[in-house]
Parts: sequence; C-alpha cells; structure tokens
Amino acid sequence: MDILAVTFDWSFITENGDELLAGLRRTLEVSAIAIAGAFVIGLVLGAARAHRVPVVSQLAAVYVEIIRNTPILVQIFFLFFGLPQIGIILEPFTVAWLAVTIWGGAFNTENFRAGFEAVPHRFREAGFALGFGRLTTFLNVTLPIGGRIALPSSINTYISVVKNTSLMYVISYPELTTTALNINALTLQTVETFTTLAVSYLVIVWTMSASIRVVERRLALPEDAR
Amino acid sequence: MSFLPDWAEPVLRYMLEVGLRGTLQIAAISLAGSLLIGVPLGTLLTIKFMPSRALIRLYIEVWRGLPVLVTLFLVFFLLPSLNPRLEFDALISASIALTLWGSAQVAEATRGAVQSIPKEQHEAASALGFGWIGRHVFVILPQALRRLLPPLVSLLVNIIQTSTIAQVIGAPELLESAERQVERLAAPPPIGIGEIKAFPIYATVMVIFFCISFPLTRLAAYLERRLA
Repeated sequence: MDILAVTFDWSFITENGDELLAGLRRTLEVSAIAIAGAFVIGLVLGAARAHRVPVVSQLAAVYVEIIRNTPILVQIFFLFFGLPQIGIILEPFTVAWLAVTIWGGAFNTENFRAGFEAVPHRFREAGFALGFGRLTTFLNVTLPIGGRIALPSSINTYISVVKNTSLMYVISYPELTTTALNINALTLQTVETFTTLAVSYLVIVWTMSASIRVVERRLALPEDAR
Repeated sequence: MSFLPDWAEPVLRYMLEVGLRGTLQIAAISLAGSLLIGVPLGTLLTIKFMPSRALIRLYIEVWRGLPVLVTLFLVFFLLPSLNPRLEFDALISASIALTLWGSAQVAEATRGAVQSIPKEQHEAASALGFGWIGRHVFVILPQALRRLLPPLVSLLVNIIQTSTIAQVIGAPELLESAERQVERLAAPPPIGIGEIKAFPIYATVMVIFFCISFPLTRLAAYLERRLA
C-alpha cells in the first residue's frame, strides 16, 4: 500500500506565485530592518559591556538577560496583546520588526561583547602607547579585530532573526508563513503550500549560512589567512 | 496570596497546573526524543562513509534550517494530508516538531564531542578487543557526554522556550493557558470580570519563563567554565 502518495500540482505556483512573493518580500523587509537594528544595538551595547561603561553596561546586561531568558513568542504576545491595555497600540508591522530587532539586538550584544573581549589587551595598550584616545583605540583597534571575531556568531543571529519572522503569524502580519497558511485555507492544496513554504525558508537560510564561509574567508585576519 | 486581586488566584493556578505542566511535558518528551535520535546520528556522522554522512547532514541541515513553527505546520497539517494515520494531537505534534529540531542540534553537538576525544582512546579500546559499537558505547561516548553537557543544558532552555509555539495549534501549554485566561476574564460575569488583563498576565508568563531559564543558563555557563 502506498504510505506517501504525493503529487505536486505545479499550477499552484503560477496561481499563487504573486501572493507568495509579496509575503516573501515582507519577510525580507522585516528581516532587513531587524538585522540593521540588531547590528547597531549589538555594536553599541556590546562595546559598552566589553569596556564596562558604567550604568550602560549594567542596563545592557539586564536587557540581554530578560530577552534571552524569555521566549520570543511571549515577547510578541506582550507587545501586541499586552501593551494595548496600558494605552500603547502598535501596528502588526511595527510589532513585527520591533520584536525581532529587540530579540536580535540582545543576542548580538553578547556576540559583539565576546568578540571585543577576545581582542588581546596588549593590542589596546599598543593603541594607547601610540597616543590614541579610548574611542580612537576602539574604532581603529578593537572594532576591526573584535568585529571580525564576532562576525560568524552574529550572522547566525541574523539567520535566527529571519526564521523568527515566521512567528508574526500569531499577529496575522502577512509575511511568508501567514501568506502560505492563508493560501492553504483557501485552496486546501496542503502538499503544494507547505512544500513551497519549507523550500523557500531553506533557500534563504542555506544561502545565509553559505555566506558565513565566504565572508569569513574574505575578512579573515591576516595572520589567520595563512 | 491575599496581596493579589481576586481574579488573579484562579488564573495563576490554571496557568501553573494546566499550562506549566503542559510546557514541561512537551519539553521532557522533546528532550528525550532529541537525545535518543541525536546522539546515535551524531556518532554515525563521524564515520567516513559518504552516503550515510550525506543523509545525516541533510537531516541536520533541514531541521536546523526550517523555522520550528514551519516544522510544526508540516507535522500538524502536512502529515495527516499524506496519510490519515499520521494525525497527532496538538501536544504530540509539538513534541515531534521540537524533537526533529532538537535532534539536529544534538547530532551536531555529539559529532563535535566525539571527534574531540583523542584517537589514542579509540586505539586503546580496539586493543582491548572492543568492536566499533562497544568502543563507542563504553569508551568514547561516556567521555564525550561530559563535553556535551553544557550545550545540552542550553538546548533544554531552548526547547522550553520554543515549546511556546505549540500555542499556535492550541496545545495546552503555558502561553496557551495564559491566552485562555485573558479571554475568559474579558467575558462578562459570572464567567469573567468583563475586563482585559492581558498586560499583567503576559508579564507573569515572562516572569515564569525567566525563573526557569535564568538558573539553567547560569548552570550551562558554569559547566562550560568548569570543563574548559
């Protein structure tokens, strides 16, 4: 007997392609905003954590621990369903990019902190000895070296950011996953819908992980590139 | 709990007795499943035999690459449409999805841990007459397990947090129990109180998850330092 009798109706793609592409575009849009935001948050707060900037460092630590120790889905619920009770009403699009930015920023703070802390102290001391101030030393010594060390782990965070945009299904923001589920409800072409959905995510995620290797090679520190 | 308003006590009790219990059930099944599938797969991945390696690699990259929510939809909506016997209730579906994702993580971690054991250990075990299976089960894996412990604790935190996606298909876990209570309270008396209490209830869900996750992430960091 046939356990998996699968047929794929290719007309599904021509009939729903436009709608799926619109969903994909929103997924990429939200991801792009969140990746840019997470990069800036990670850079600034990661530097504050690594250099123990008073007050900012402690506040950043609290932010990181809260976000990393609570599920992102609950954070989305809190932003979208909890905040309106105290008068803060946010659009689904706003919650979509805001939630993944806050989440990615917290993980990226840790990535950059670890990267900056991995830069040997003698490098910074050399910078000071050359007469650089604290900020110039950071920009010319710690950032170029520590940023490269943090790069692979931060790209992994960006990959998770893209995957987490699928959770915007719970607030009905019409990104890729929500769009696919809506199409499935109308067409009942379950095999076609979910195969297309899964393949789309795998193409995005696998492309991004392949880019880690390319970027790592191109940005390798001279002494590691030998 | 006299300092809490009247409506809060039954809400909290329901969230802990129904919700938290469901969350822990899903997490326990998923962790056990991830280990049962992930450790053998990761060990087999160290064998230099192309076809088996390619298959296991594909398994790891697919389930690590997909958002777990999409995997959950594949299990909950796609499987039953392929074969009616593959229809599972929400709690089991969520556990299956989390097991697929978790086992991929465990397999990758196990491969690294097994490969970190020096080859003298393999040689010594072989010299004592162990075959491939005996060598790995009795000599290599017990040592690899020590190095596996910190990533496994991190994985447990991840599984507990990610189990909230079961809410999407209505499985009785913590977030779902909170949502049900928000809706119940919004109803007019005697069922509810006719008020929306979403803010304190979802804040409480965050606090409960924090109380579970924070000690575990500390433990993972501590184990990592001790093994380093």
